[in-house]
Amino acid sequence: MAVVDRNGPIADSWKRLADDAPVPQGGSVIVSLARLKSDDNALFAAAKNVGVEFAGDVNLEEVLAYLPRLSLIVARLTTMRDGRPFSIGRLLRERHGYKGDLRAAGPFIPDQVLFLLRVGFTTFEVDEGFSIDALKRAVAAFTAWYQRSATPATPTVIELRHPGNK
Amino acid sequence: MYLYDNFDQTITQQRIGEFRDQVQRRLKGELTEEQFRPLRLMNGLYLQLHAYMLRVAVPYGTLSVVQLHKLADIATKYDRGYAHFTTRQNIQYNWIKLEQMPDLLAELGSVEMHGNQTSGNCIRNVTADQFSGVAGDEIDDPRVASEVIRQWSTFHPEFAWLPRKFKIAVTGAAHDRAAIQFHDIGLQIVRNEASEVGYRVFVGGGMGRTPVIATEVRAFLPKDELLSYLEAILRVYNRYGRRDNMYKARIKILVRELGAEEFIRQVEEEWQASDRALVNLPPAEEDRVRKFFADPPYEKIAVPVAAFEDARKNDKAFARWVATNVHTHKVPGYGAVTISLKPPGGIPGDATDKQMHAVADLAEKYSFSEVRVTHVQNLVLPYVKLADLHAVWQALGKIGFADANIGLVSDIIACPGLDYCALANARSIPIAQQISERFADLDRQHDIGPLQIKISGCINACGHHHAGHIGILGVDKAGVEFYQITLGGAADENAAIGTLIGAGFSGDDILGAVEKVIDTYLELRQSGETFIDAYRRVGAAPFKEKLYGRR
Ligand code: SF4
Repeated sequence: MAVVDRNGPIADSWKRLADDAPVPQGGSVIVSLARLKSDDNALFAAAKNVGVEFAGDVNLEEVLAYLPRLSLIVARLTTMRDGRPFSIGRLLRERHGYKGDLRAAGPFIPDQVLFLLRVGFTTFEVDEGFSIDALKRAVAAFTAWYQRSATPATPTVIELRHPGNK
Repeated sequence: MYLYDNFDQTITQQRIGEFRDQVQRRLKGELTEEQFRPLRLMNGLYLQLHAYMLRVAVPYGTLSVVQLHKLADIATKYDRGYAHFTTRQNIQYNWIKLEQMPDLLAELGSVEMHGNQTSGNCIRNVTADQFSGVAGDEIDDPRVASEVIRQWSTFHPEFAWLPRKFKIAVTGAAHDRAAIQFHDIGLQIVRNEASEVGYRVFVGGGMGRTPVIATEVRAFLPKDELLSYLEAILRVYNRYGRRDNMYKARIKILVRELGAEEFIRQVEEEWQASDRALVNLPPAEEDRVRKFFADPPYEKIAVPVAAFEDARKNDKAFARWVATNVHTHKVPGYGAVTISLKPPGGIPGDATDKQMHAVADLAEKYSFSEVRVTHVQNLVLPYVKLADLHAVWQALGKIGFADANIGLVSDIIACPGLDYCALANARSIPIAQQISERFADLDRQHDIGPLQIKISGCINACGHHHAGHIGILGVDKAGVEFYQITLGGAADENAAIGTLIGAGFSGDDILGAVEKVIDTYLELRQSGETFIDAYRRVGAAPFKEKLYGRR
């Protein structure tokens, strides 16, 4: 397991905490949504950073109350073709104003990272076979798009066509 | 028609570069076939029974002469000298080599074409009325919305990995020539009481093993709200559509499982909560797109046109072709010509490289250099002067494309079936060929009148058999090809799903059975009554009796 961002591998100190494991003092822990719901006071009191992990079937309503205190959200693609986290990314960023790290996990391939970035993901949990070369090429494959990105860094084609029009 | 600007061109070029890289990695084994498969599908590349098939997008069925020439050249260079126009206004090549794909895509890219999103679980190529911009009954030109949808749906980061494929169709007229009620989203351009233009929105239509006529989810959507409303529908679908079973993954199943009311509630809630202004198209961009669809420089022509009327009077065969193949035009003195790709014994929708070049030449000479593809697998010259019709008809005759059969019994839709398709239970093309040969006599066809036969080689219904006045479905009966008949389907504004009328027929008997159905209609029709009208009046019983005897 490694964690990468759009440029390649990054240092990572997050640890997954099993639902029945005691809360460690300090440290950065990733918990399930069930654990977060049942144990949020203890978690936020003890851990240095708290992150939560869920898959595409999450009920986002249940996460919203914790958003300001979460520094990591891991959304898991259950298969490469699982598109639900792509909607969840935009919702968290655009509608709910989540500003922390949004991390994708699961069997996605480098070719999917550009779209994940565009819907608001920032880091990616990948296994050893994940090609950093391919990642670098994939995120640079496109420089223009028709749709706004969740974290707009570059203007859309529509905006570029009508510079004065805001 | 729409022309790419630098941005459109950049995006298309970058996509070619991306796919070139992906093909290399696949050939080197860096991508598994399982990983590569969805990538190639989203570039239009299928693995068929015998070879790769490439589906090239023809956005809303509109082609320039330059593009058609290029499509013909590609048929010569990369295929076996022919190609196939599909029910989604696209074109397919059946004999493609994977290694050649990047170069082939580069050639397509040079004429603003590609195979993007013609397959895969994403938003597919948008389709529209083939008579957009020329039909007299149009409220607004659906090509404007179609082009806007094309751009919005191209590489949309949120909706590239949907539960299943997603098809959108647009019509600008009350008479539906785009089968919108059999699409995942169907948009009908309408006016409200205040005379503002907007959309009547349908969701959840489809063919396949569970045919469904779409549900109206909104009677009126203001025109400027289109994209945010589409995103709301897609987002509800992307989040909640079923992913556990591919046969239950289309949006029609979500609408059914939630119930229309709850589905609409969720879409409206999502839509209201979204930042619509961020997604909706700015009016300046709509204006920019609309300019591309301005009328061509029509001449002012006094009607009636004597030369045309004389030719019609003196040449019965020409008059007959005009009656079926020339659609009324909004501009006096012009007609929209449908070129039949359904010769007797031919493969519906097939065209050779030579035929494509010839059609392109005709379009250049007579139709402001534009060609359309119809969802019934024919071609259209949208802007022909009535005075030129006779010459066009004669020229079409020379390439075998002058059959006066549009809308008639031999204007058949057929899927590729067992001749090409890995999923097929039975052959479709030979059945279409037999029927068109049996009914080759034009007097007989014109006597029978409007009749749509649609043939699918399996329950996936790519041949739209559910929507055929007469539908034919290939099934496998203990390893033998059998064919079931459905009656009463329709794909227009009176959309209906055909009813299965009884046990299937063998490949040897299906032609006779179809003929019996038609004979039954001829016996019971009242004066001026079409097949579908007669069927709606009498129901299936007389047809069953004729086919299976009294029970
Ligand atoms: S209907 Fe069946 S046989 Fe025909 S093209 Fe579709 S999947 Fe293939």
